[in-house]
Amino acid sequence: MTVVAAMLLDAYRELNSKKLFWITLVLSGMVVICYGSIGFDEDGMSILYGLKHVDSEFIKQGSPWARAMYMGIFSDFVVTIWLSWIAIILALISTTTIFPDFVASGTIDLVLAKPITRIKLFVIKYLTSLLFVVLQVGLFCVGVFACVGLRLGEWNWMIFSAVPIVTVFYSYLYSANVLTGILTRSAITALLLTMLFWCGLWSIQSSEVLLNQFRFMSQIQAERAQEIVDRVEASLATADDAENGVSDRQRLRWERELDGAQEDHEQAQELEQTLTTWHRRVRVGVIILPKTQHTVGLLSRWLKDPQGFSIIAMMRGDMTGMMPGSNANRPTGVDAETSRRMEAYYDDTSPWFIITSSLGFELLVLGVACWMFVRRDY
Amino acid sequence: MATTNGEYVIDLHHVEKIYRGKVHALRGVEMQVHRGEIFGLLGPNGAGKSTLVKIMMTVVRPTRIGGTLLGRPIGHKPTLRRVGYLPEDHRFPRYLTGRQALEFYAALAKVDRRTRKRRAAELLTTVGMSDWADKKVSTYSKGMMQRVGLAQALVNDPQLVLLDEPTDGVDPVGRREIRDVLVELRRRGTTIFLNSHLLSELEMVCDRVAILVQGKVVMQGTIDDLTAQSRRYEITIQGAAPDWAQGDPSIRVEVLSDGQSKLIVQGSEPGPMQPILDRLRGESRIICAMEPVRETLEDLFMRAVTDPATGQVLAPGASPPVGRSGKGGRR
Repeated sequence: MTVVAAMLLDAYRELNSKKLFWITLVLSGMVVICYGSIGFDEDGMSILYGLKHVDSEFIKQGSPWARAMYMGIFSDFVVTIWLSWIAIILALISTTTIFPDFVASGTIDLVLAKPITRIKLFVIKYLTSLLFVVLQVGLFCVGVFACVGLRLGEWNWMIFSAVPIVTVFYSYLYSANVLTGILTRSAITALLLTMLFWCGLWSIQSSEVLLNQFRFMSQIQAERAQEIVDRVEASLATADDAENGVSDRQRLRWERELDGAQEDHEQAQELEQTLTTWHRRVRVGVIILPKTQHTVGLLSRWLKDPQGFSIIAMMRGDMTGMMPGSNANRPTGVDAETSRRMEAYYDDTSPWFIITSSLGFELLVLGVACWMFVRRDY
Repeated sequence: MATTNGEYVIDLHHVEKIYRGKVHALRGVEMQVHRGEIFGLLGPNGAGKSTLVKIMMTVVRPTRIGGTLLGRPIGHKPTLRRVGYLPEDHRFPRYLTGRQALEFYAALAKVDRRTRKRRAAELLTTVGMSDWADKKVSTYSKGMMQRVGLAQALVNDPQLVLLDEPTDGVDPVGRREIRDVLVELRRRGTTIFLNSHLLSELEMVCDRVAILVQGKVVMQGTIDDLTAQSRRYEITIQGAAPDWAQGDPSIRVEVLSDGQSKLIVQGSEPGPMQPILDRLRGESRIICAMEPVRETLEDLFMRAVTDPATGQVLAPGASPPVGRSGKGGRR
């Protein structure tokens, strides 16, 4: 325990000595201030602490859309853009020197000569290195928690789930940073290779999402074409049975419509099959590798309104349809339907699978790094 | 050797290290260090001194090793709780102050909080760094770093201290202070293993020394024992050496430039000198000087690093492997 406490204190002192740690903290504070500047009243919402007012019949004090928007800004934008990109890049820049410095000649000798096994030393050093993100996100969440409480009157402790989520997300990348740091003993090289790894992950996950999106679009288009085929065939059958004065011209138009729909259906089905094959292949990579986007996406899932009120639904144009007592139908366009199916598809993936499979890969990377750390002569 | 491990604080047998199959750094080192002594390890650059110390401190993994450190096998981590170590060119994290560094390394050595705070304060005073205790180590000079480094090696109140070039970069006053600290530690029963290039300093404090050349211990013992065979008496006389002296195989004659001659007689006892002196006086020779002479540690060192066959100083550094030994387990 003495060793863990000492290394934790040392990690804090190291962070404390880094300007970037404080710069990130100040930037986080500014993001919280901006977030807190959005408020709601009976007529709509205000921005920049009342400097600008937007009248809205949907987004106003007490409405589910106001909640959806405010929580959505946090989970879908602040976490996704600020915590998962900008703050993580700053964290990687700040912490990339930790392991190369730790294994530098003259420094490592002092530590290895102590009565601690190398494995224990590696594990403690790794875990304490995550302190940067834990502190940053923890303090950030305190600010957001206060904003949500004051603006919506909802003291939502689930906001703090961002701390483990973002830390786990960061740890996927940091494990690669540690491996390359130990391998090359160069902070710059480790940072560049980590960024490359991150870009690789992003590319694979984005490809999977895009392929999936196109696959659903083709699927919906095939379904729609099939609906037309069914409808036209039914019309033709009725016309044949009744022989009740359907003109040849009308019949010809239906037959042309049927041919077109059948062709569309075949094309859409063929495309869907091709996309499904490719999607399946890319998905293998997604399953094996850390799922950064899905991990961060868990937060939106956990914070979303059970009735389906979400900022994504707002952006999709579902607002009117979901209002209580509304008779309007939800938008039925291919894009909206694709979006719904995508949401359902990804919501079906269990958080347990997302986290454990990603941590499995991280463990593998860390295992290699630890093995190298333990076997090396310094 | 008819001794038990308990007598030795360090008892090393056939220590071998081959770095990645390229450099044969240690080639069967045998070394024993007694309890409560200051032991000096000498050797030219690249002889394997630091590697040997690092192996004892588990920083480097030996290719083959036998023996004990404080009675436990080399590599036994809990034993290191009772060992202090100052590596060569050590670097403390730059964001720590001297006091914080000492407390941090004491905590890693599992010293309790109260004790480490007390020890840090005491040791900073001992090494003359109390005024700088709360300044960042990034502001320290090389000598200051060495002083704090020494304090770090002692912070866990060790029974054995291994110091690799402890006076490197330290001014003469500091070197003397460090020497005094070492002597005081020995008085209190601490064993000190000193690795240094400064032969004169080692000569002043070491009870025993070992000389490591190209990965092998070529000499080991007390300085008196090692220099015993070089002890001699030198008699300087006016004029040429007598014929009987030139014909005596126990006497070596040197002709000096100023018309004098020097008779060199091996041995450390004055008794055998008396008949020679009587005979010289009997021949009315003028005896200018007579002095007992002993090799310095530097002479001893130079003798150890000189190839007796060629008279040339051996090339520095470890030699490449001649083929890996199959004995012993690779660790």
